[in-house]
Amino acid sequence: MNKNDGHVDSIPVPEHVDNTQFPDGLRVLAIDDNSVCLRLLEALLIKCRYKVAATTNAIEALEMLRQNKDNFDIVITDVNNLDMDGFSLLDIIGIEMDLPVIMISADDKKSTVMKGIRHGARDYLLKPVRIEEIKNIWQHVVRKSLSDPNKSVHYNRSNR
Amino acid sequence: MDRNQVHRQVALMRQSFFDQGFLDEQFIQLEELQDEANPNFVEEVVTLYYRDSTRLILNIEQALEKSPLDFNKLDCHMHQFKGSSSSIGAKKVKSECTQFREYCKAGNGEGCMRTFQQLKKEYAILKKKLETYFQMARQAGPKEIACRPKPKLDICPDLEKNYVGWIPSRFRYTFSF
Repeated sequence: MNKNDGHVDSIPVPEHVDNTQFPDGLRVLAIDDNSVCLRLLEALLIKCRYKVAATTNAIEALEMLRQNKDNFDIVITDVNNLDMDGFSLLDIIGIEMDLPVIMISADDKKSTVMKGIRHGARDYLLKPVRIEEIKNIWQHVVRKSLSDPNKSVHYNRSNR
Repeated sequence: MDRNQVHRQVALMRQSFFDQGFLDEQFIQLEELQDEANPNFVEEVVTLYYRDSTRLILNIEQALEKSPLDFNKLDCHMHQFKGSSSSIGAKKVKSECTQFREYCKAGNGEGCMRTFQQLKKEYAILKKKLETYFQMARQAGPKEIACRPKPKLDICPDLEKNYVGWIPSRFRYTFSF
């Protein structure tokens, strides 16, 4: 069990993990059925020194998550034009896999943003996504682990 | 043509894309992602964009031939096109996509078809310009290695001063003084 002692430098990760490198190596699953957007997203994530698995196929991504959800720290996904309903995807990732999920969309309608939030999205990024926004996604991993004190964040540098 | 002239030409061409509204700052984001690990990133993504766009244009053309028009489907295709166009900073193409989607929302088939013709034109112009640009940038590189006896791994400080914006990483290895 991890406690946040309120110290600004302490990050709720298991003690044996070297958190001086965090959030380097954060394991991100990126989903976007538009291959141009996906390639860009992948490059942004890599530039932030995250580890990325990227796919245009949401159903495949779910399969991958179902088989080994402990392999990822966070999911970032577009919700439009997927091979399945994007908002259902948000539901499943949040509830079944209990992973923080970030929504991206080219649609800036307030109703779409609201819908995403209602379906559990931790954040909503408007395309084209900027590197400053991607740099910050690790905060959602930390926030989530703070709100789940019984679950430790499996940030594991041995994956490098 | 001497090396500095070619570099200057490439830089001027690039600047004209921004000045004439063909590209916006998103293109600079792409350039900033290009580095030693990804030396051809910009061209790679733009090539991906051409491939994606060809497919989308075909889909839209087919959808526009149907009667009655399925505006939802058209809007869906155009949403995709807008997404990829905005990802590479294709400003004029993106604005045609937005216009098209307005006509879809209004159920205006005529407007859609007119805008689509305009969009195809803008896309073709941009594609031609970018192809020329990348070709020129590539030509400037290898020619250098052929003419100069030994490339050094230093960036020419003078050139950096004159050069606006993107220096393809390969250029860094072709200067010798």
